[in-house]
Amino acid sequence: MRVLLVEDFEPFARSLAQGLREAGYAVDTAANGEEALTHAFATPYDGILLDLMLPKLDGLTVLRRLRENGSPAGILVLTARDQVSDRVTGLDLGADDYLAKPFPFEELLARLRAVIRRRYQAPSNIVRVGDLELDATARAVRRGGRPIALSAREYGLLEYLAMRRGQVVTRAEIHDHVYDFAAEPGSNVVDVYVGYLRKKIDEGQAVKLIQTHRGLGYSLGVEA
Amino acid sequence: MTHSLRVRLTVGVLSVLAAVLATFAIVVRVVLGSALDRQLDARLSGNAAAVAGMAEDGTPPEFEYESLPEFERAVRPGFFEAWLDDGRVLARSPSLGTRDLDRLRIDTGGPAFADVTLPDGRPGRALELRQPMRIEDAPRGGPPADRFVTVIVAQGTEDVRETLAAMSRWLWLLGLLALVLGSAATALAVTRGLRSVHGLAAEVAARHEHDLARALPRNVPVELEPLVDKLAGLFKRLAASFERERRFTADVSHELRTPLAALRTILEVAASRDRDAAAYRTAIADAKAVVEQTQALVQNLLMLARLDARQIEVVNQELRLRPFVEDCWRAFAAQAASRKLTFSNDIGPAAAVVIDPDKLRIVMTNLLANAADYTGDGGAIHVREGRDDVVLEVVDTGPPIPDYVLPRIFDRFARADTARSGGGIHSGVGLALVRAICEVLGLSISAENISDGSVRFQLRNQPADANSNRGDATRLMR
Repeated sequence: MRVLLVEDFEPFARSLAQGLREAGYAVDTAANGEEALTHAFATPYDGILLDLMLPKLDGLTVLRRLRENGSPAGILVLTARDQVSDRVTGLDLGADDYLAKPFPFEELLARLRAVIRRRYQAPSNIVRVGDLELDATARAVRRGGRPIALSAREYGLLEYLAMRRGQVVTRAEIHDHVYDFAAEPGSNVVDVYVGYLRKKIDEGQAVKLIQTHRGLGYSLGVEA
Repeated sequence: MTHSLRVRLTVGVLSVLAAVLATFAIVVRVVLGSALDRQLDARLSGNAAAVAGMAEDGTPPEFEYESLPEFERAVRPGFFEAWLDDGRVLARSPSLGTRDLDRLRIDTGGPAFADVTLPDGRPGRALELRQPMRIEDAPRGGPPADRFVTVIVAQGTEDVRETLAAMSRWLWLLGLLALVLGSAATALAVTRGLRSVHGLAAEVAARHEHDLARALPRNVPVELEPLVDKLAGLFKRLAASFERERRFTADVSHELRTPLAALRTILEVAASRDRDAAAYRTAIADAKAVVEQTQALVQNLLMLARLDARQIEVVNQELRLRPFVEDCWRAFAAQAASRKLTFSNDIGPAAAVVIDPDKLRIVMTNLLANAADYTGDGGAIHVREGRDDVVLEVVDTGPPIPDYVLPRIFDRFARADTARSGGGIHSGVGLALVRAICEVLGLSISAENISDGSVRFQLRNQPADANSNRGDATRLMR
């Protein structure tokens, strides 16, 4: 999953980004409101972590512009303002959740999972596709009850496919949702990782879950 | 003296009313008393004239008592007696019987009145009259001109006294009634008048700090309007003060939450897994930088709070500016070097001021920190001595301060950095503190963008007549 972190206090942004990357997210950062909008309009983020007091363009304006432009990202507002009125304003402008600073990092991760889940209309952190079970909280994958060890990138790819299970997902979409600006993936890196994933998930299984749609992309699901 | 307005007003009104009533009673008593006295004297004169007129030729007069019944009646009779000059009694009123009336011993011929005790012991008034006798026949014997009759007429004064007593009773009664009604009316009027005071007091008592700004009732008597105006003004100032305090607390809490959140995240993320030493060192350095910035913020906030509470003492001494600025810059030299900023201290070696060096150091340090943070990479910072009333100026090569920030750049938590930098923790406290300290030092501070894109902060001496709370004037010495 790919998130945009909008926070102007540099040491804070740096360690938040590190923590999020270590939790498996592809993370882009923006230090002011204008940069945040530029990034958000260019990239279909799954989640946006948004500070409200920002240079150049304040967070509430960013929030309003994002929703006016139909951004589907799950938006988690991070702010030092903890008045009820601030929270109400933020939520009414289209934020999915609100976290007052300072907060435990665990809680940030849980809320971020929740807003992304909501963005994909997933009812719980455990997604089942056939006999494949994906636990977003533990970042654990099982197939037929047997645990499957995945690398962070493989897990990220599978998680995105699982969120969009039953749909055909293009290479570009996978690219946009699994890699951040810092990563510089080659042109066929998606195919390579889908190959790795297929090997770990589908090899030796009667029912193949990862389908290739020639010229379109991939999908995760039980073929009818 | 009691402090109750109601009692004082009532007592005052009643005192005046009582004095007026008493004066009125005395005047009525005197006027009526003298009128009754004159009336009595007139009656005595009439009766005396009648008695004298009936005394005839030295013979006992024959009275027609039908016209003078008072001399005959048994109760409160009048008296008269008539004498000839030789002392013979010519006539007595029937009421006198065989008694005599006391002579008044008048020497002159005119009538004389006197207060007497009547023969029956009653107090009374008497008139003595001496007049020639009426001679109807031609005189036979002595010269008729020598024949005089002396008449004394006396009457009781009970009627007059009783009339006056009755009048006094009525006056007392009416006076008391007037006082009772007057005090009731006064008390009622005062109570009604004070009702709006009570209403106002209840309104004031019901006020909490969050509804101080609500308007006070205007339906008060005109006498209370100044009080209501002053109260409204006080409430307005209080509300503004509470609002300032509330905002300050909220702002402080906000300013501290961001570095706290950063610290917490830095530490939690660092501790979330085993890392190599370099990663830990980075996290520790980040955390330390945040703590240092937070400490500076807290110190600034404390200084602002002390300035607000006027707990700052100004100790002036002569200060040479050039070495002082040099010393202040030292803390920023490394940071400036890393961003290729050049610094020039253009102050002449002789420039000196009389000022509190510790306070000026906070001002200078904040201005230099601001310049070191915000001047674009490769830019320049100049500190110069000023001309006229300018003490010092700090000029950097920009970028300029945005127009929407400039008017409130010295406001607390104004966040001058909202467009100049992404410093994050750079709250508006530093420049707010600079302005507050400048006020204490008798200086004013201004910030402006100058034509070539540079930014200039100037410290000036405030004009001597400026409305300020400073102690000693700061003077530039050459």
